[in-house]
Amino acid sequence: MLDTEVYLEKLALFGRLLRQQGMEVSPKENSDACSILLSLDMSDRETVKTALRTVYAKSRDEQLKFDRVFDSFFLSEEAIRAIDKRHQKEELERRKAMEEAEQALSEQTPNVLYSEAQKEAYSQLSEEEKRRLEELKKRMKGTTDRSVPLYTDFIRSVFMKYILEQQIKMEDAAIGAQAIDPEIGILFKDISDFHDNEIPKAVKYMQDLSSRITGELAKRRKGAKKSGSLDFRRTIRKSLETGGSLHKLAYKPSRKRKKQLVILCDVSASMVQFSEFALRFIQALNEASESSRVFLFSEELKEADPFHLQNMDAFRDYVRESGVYGKGTDLGAALKRINDERPSVLSPASVLIIVSDCKSIDIGGACREMDRSRGRAGKVYCLNPLPESKWKYSSSVMALSQKCTMLSCSTLRDLGEACRRLTLS
Amino acid sequence: MDIETLKQKMDEAHYVYDDNLITTLFVAINLDRPLLIEGEAGVGKTEVAKVVAAALGRKLIRMQCYEGLDESKTLYEWNYQKQLLSIQVNMGKTDDDTLTKSLFSDEYLLERPLLQSIRSEEPVVLLIDEIDKADEEFEAFLLELLSDFQVSVPEVGTIKAKTKPFIVLTSNRARPISDALRRRCAYLYIEYPDMEKELAILRSRVPHVDERLCVQIAQAVHDLRENEAILKKPSVAESLDWAEALHALGVRELTPELMKSTVGFVLKNNEDIATLSEALDAAEAEPEETEEYRRRHEEGEHCHDHHDHADGHLHDEDCEFEKTGKHCGRHSHA
Repeated sequence: MLDTEVYLEKLALFGRLLRQQGMEVSPKENSDACSILLSLDMSDRETVKTALRTVYAKSRDEQLKFDRVFDSFFLSEEAIRAIDKRHQKEELERRKAMEEAEQALSEQTPNVLYSEAQKEAYSQLSEEEKRRLEELKKRMKGTTDRSVPLYTDFIRSVFMKYILEQQIKMEDAAIGAQAIDPEIGILFKDISDFHDNEIPKAVKYMQDLSSRITGELAKRRKGAKKSGSLDFRRTIRKSLETGGSLHKLAYKPSRKRKKQLVILCDVSASMVQFSEFALRFIQALNEASESSRVFLFSEELKEADPFHLQNMDAFRDYVRESGVYGKGTDLGAALKRINDERPSVLSPASVLIIVSDCKSIDIGGACREMDRSRGRAGKVYCLNPLPESKWKYSSSVMALSQKCTMLSCSTLRDLGEACRRLTLS
Repeated sequence: MDIETLKQKMDEAHYVYDDNLITTLFVAINLDRPLLIEGEAGVGKTEVAKVVAAALGRKLIRMQCYEGLDESKTLYEWNYQKQLLSIQVNMGKTDDDTLTKSLFSDEYLLERPLLQSIRSEEPVVLLIDEIDKADEEFEAFLLELLSDFQVSVPEVGTIKAKTKPFIVLTSNRARPISDALRRRCAYLYIEYPDMEKELAILRSRVPHVDERLCVQIAQAVHDLRENEAILKKPSVAESLDWAEALHALGVRELTPELMKSTVGFVLKNNEDIATLSEALDAAEAEPEETEEYRRRHEEGEHCHDHHDHADGHLHDEDCEFEKTGKHCGRHSHA
């Protein structure tokens, strides 16, 4: 009896741990787990694991999460003690490193307050990077005496930059460590990190997704048939099947005007791989729109020839020879040229889609032109290949995200979701 | 039913299983939970339902999902023609209320798979195949059946299951299944089998095919699945088809030429076929160091058939030719 109570207690705790991992564990699942454990031979660990996994995990991702929690929860006493010892040691080391970092930072940049996360990021910097910062401080010593506030601000900004980079690295490492479904892992991978051998798989995924979205659109149009007026002729004809009773009513399909897409695609060097993926999507979804116009921009603006958009290889060559490829990004100038020189492009029936990481020069100008474009176009969306978690590190992204609907599409999954939202909205 | 009995029944149904599948089935059957099976196309998801039906000695009721599926095709439909006839025949003979009531009785109800499965006197296995092909509305419609084993017919009321069916849902993950549906099911993911399991399946399902050929097919299919460049990986169903095709051709050994000519049974798109052809051509142009080569090299045998003994060969300290004057099978020798 006591054993059973212990098991139930452990199972309840295990359920809570699964919840902490983002899995939905209801009392029903816990009660199912209890009843199945009572009917199983508990001596075989693998059988117990599979049985509990069947009850708790409802998808491939959840199975992987479950395995991780189960393997770390149901351990032998010895393993638990060893892990506890290791954790204590790691915690001690972490505290020591944090104290050292705090001391070093207060010596290097007195009167500057750092957050706990920034201190931790500093403690994770390599010795070489720390040495480089110290050398920089020594080199700048002469300037210190001349202008203390200027020097302090400069050193602070350098420190902040290093710490920020370290924080981004740490976040990336944490994302990489997450176990995801190996079958669909490519959907969660950063598009800019794709290897050559992954691109065909990614392209196939995009083709599948675009055909699925096209199907959804067709279904919507089909579903929208009832919204039209009653079709008397077809209704009377149909009633003949049921002896003249008006059993099923037929409706005239309502005509819905498709939106006009205006795509403004950033083809600066850092964006080219992503732009290609995004344009593949946009091309595949083209039939959702009555017409579309594609503009390429970096520091200059050029309208893409529709003929070249039919073939991605030709398009790639076309972009490289266009004269806009590989330069800096000036979103404001590109929008200004559309607004001033081609006023007919944006109208209330058009949807402007900007495909860019928004790391633009003259951010003030970009915001102003964005406001103008928003006033002219029906809707303005921005597909940003930067992960949403990194937007806060870029002031230009933060500023532009206030001006339009910005959708993150750093991974294929995000890109798919963004395109679905664009098409079905 | 305990796990051992279930294993025995699966053996009797000649199904190749692993512990994961058996335990999951055991849990689902014991908890009366529907079983949601996901996995790539052709890994044997539908087969699980068929085999469970055979193992439990139950009738299998199958419902294939597709876009636009609605309750009139899955649950029930009134027999309108018969109702209209009945109205005309009984007009004036019976009072209106009785006539109306009689029109919505079992006599005029056309049962579809879902209703059949819950009104059956004997418990059945209900297979809802490819649920990802159906609309989201249909998924929501299924929730009542999956959680409470009952359905609601507006004219009749709620119909509770006479016997609880064992429900198996399959999905190829063409679209995400809702959380509400997942929560009501036990979950099983079937991966592509490893080589050993593939071979066991081939032996069990195509026992008339030569053992050596089965091993070669299992190896080739395994290699194709490992190949990153192949977009649509071959499934178990395809390797079974391939085995049957090769057997029908009277093949005893799988050669690269045969592989090229029969690859349509195992790869289903042009890009993959082209990738395989290129790989086979490359392998022919640069033959790999086979077991035979290695053996001959280790023994330092002379290899007459491969080398023209031209001047300027590569020198190698380990080369037997350098030491003994015999040809090694790896280099061109002067």
